[in-house]
Amino acid sequence: MYLDIFLFVGYFLARRQFPGKWLVEILVNLSLVMPPVVTGYLLLQVFKPGTPLAWFLSKFFGMKIAFEFPGLVVAAAVMSFPLMVRSIRLGFQSVDPRLEKMARTLGVGWVSTFFRISLPLGRNGVIAGCVLAFARSLGEFGATVMLVSQRESTRTIPLLIYTLKDRSDGIVEISYLVVVSLFLAAGALAISEYIARKGLRREFS
Amino acid sequence: MNFLSFQCQHQFSSGFEIDVAFKTEGLVTSLFGPSGSGKSTVLAMISGLLSPTFGKIRLGSKWLLDTDQRFCEPVENRRVGVVFQDQLLFPHMTVNVNLRFGQKNENIKKPFEFNRVVDVLELGSLLDRYPNNLSGGERQRVALGRALLSSPEILLMDEPMGALDDNLKLRVLAYLERVVNEWKIPTLFVSHGQAEVRRLADWLIVMKKGKVLSVGEPDQVLGSSTSLAWTNSVGPVNLLRIETAYKRDDCWIGKIGVQELNLPPLKDLNLKPFYVRCLPSDLTLSVQDVQGLSTRNHLNGIVQELVELSDRVLVRVDVGQTLWAEVTPQAMRELKLYRGLSVTCLLKTRSLKILW
Repeated sequence: MYLDIFLFVGYFLARRQFPGKWLVEILVNLSLVMPPVVTGYLLLQVFKPGTPLAWFLSKFFGMKIAFEFPGLVVAAAVMSFPLMVRSIRLGFQSVDPRLEKMARTLGVGWVSTFFRISLPLGRNGVIAGCVLAFARSLGEFGATVMLVSQRESTRTIPLLIYTLKDRSDGIVEISYLVVVSLFLAAGALAISEYIARKGLRREFS
Repeated sequence: MNFLSFQCQHQFSSGFEIDVAFKTEGLVTSLFGPSGSGKSTVLAMISGLLSPTFGKIRLGSKWLLDTDQRFCEPVENRRVGVVFQDQLLFPHMTVNVNLRFGQKNENIKKPFEFNRVVDVLELGSLLDRYPNNLSGGERQRVALGRALLSSPEILLMDEPMGALDDNLKLRVLAYLERVVNEWKIPTLFVSHGQAEVRRLADWLIVMKKGKVLSVGEPDQVLGSSTSLAWTNSVGPVNLLRIETAYKRDDCWIGKIGVQELNLPPLKDLNLKPFYVRCLPSDLTLSVQDVQGLSTRNHLNGIVQELVELSDRVLVRVDVGQTLWAEVTPQAMRELKLYRGLSVTCLLKTRSLKILW
């Protein structure tokens, strides 16, 4: 969903040198090292009803972020942003920049070069990034609990498990959820592994 | 012909400064010089991969760069075909897709037709393979084909044969010759091999330390003392072009003008033209024809030029083609060599090496 932004930032950080790059890097990686609860708290302060941004979003898009489903998406996106960008960036860094230059001399513009050379060759980084981001979103707890709290419509697996653990009859439901989590995680890894291997086979056979 | 005009200055952060101006006057121009002389930088400037601080570059009637007018044509619009030493084939595409990568869909005039390029470079059997499964020579042919199919107006080659061993070099060289003959495409290639320069180039630019040392026709430029300065240990390499060859009794004979050259046994008489290489130090000069020698080749010629180096003298002799002989300063004094003197070049058949 936010993949295009991720791709852009990742590619940009991998290829360009510019003044103040360290600042951008810190901003990108901030949510990786900050306690998730703090990130969630900051997001809440930005999106809670009554702030200008919340007013703007609900007036023009009819969208409420805090305590609603979109809040889950925002929290997941913010928390997985650094992981995704890091991994995509590594993917692009593994692509020889001279291949991109070569493509340009063959009369192909930079946009086309990106889609025909950089993206396919850096693909493994992008896939790894998606898997990481998916796993992170699935397990995200701190920021989510701050931003959307716990309601019927905004229940994630970790939130539910946390609620259920104090109930005497929760053990059965928890074990279901644990199994589901296991399958989701293993499935995601299996898919990424499969894609990566398929790519390898194609390139080197 | 004045196809490419180039005049650029650039200072690198390392302190290396390049200040080069030249015009090409032939179809195939070679940039020649020791490593670190800035040859590849010149190519990078023409292809647009490097922007010089000051400069003007014109290709045919089209300006590629003019820093005075703040004009710089983007790389993808320059229509230059670049071939690097390490080929830079796209590893995730088959040879076929690699070749077609730069092919334009527009209906511009296409002198380079796909099937013809595949034929000339003999790529037909490679089309479905991936670059990682190709040999060095095959990769270089694919890279050449890919550059041609982007319909370039000039071919820029950065030591196209640098990474290949001698045998392969000759084969790729033959393909290059074919390409130049087939399409008459202006070519600029960076090289430090004299043999390939002499064979391919009709115009030569010698560079050293970011400056142009000399410009002109290969035979003359390679012989002038300025360009020899850097290549002291090697000297010029003789390369004779043989167009007519035949077998008489049990001898193989090649013609140089009207004179005959005894060749080592040929594998195939039909591969023509071919080249014969020998080193200047293999030649013996004589001011009168000597009888009773086992040396088979006695080529008569006129001394054109004497280049005196610190420890030896290089003599350029015109025997129909240019031949360089190396003698000691003492021998030069004793024989009283001077420009215009008739001499005989003695050359053992064994010292001749045939190149196809």
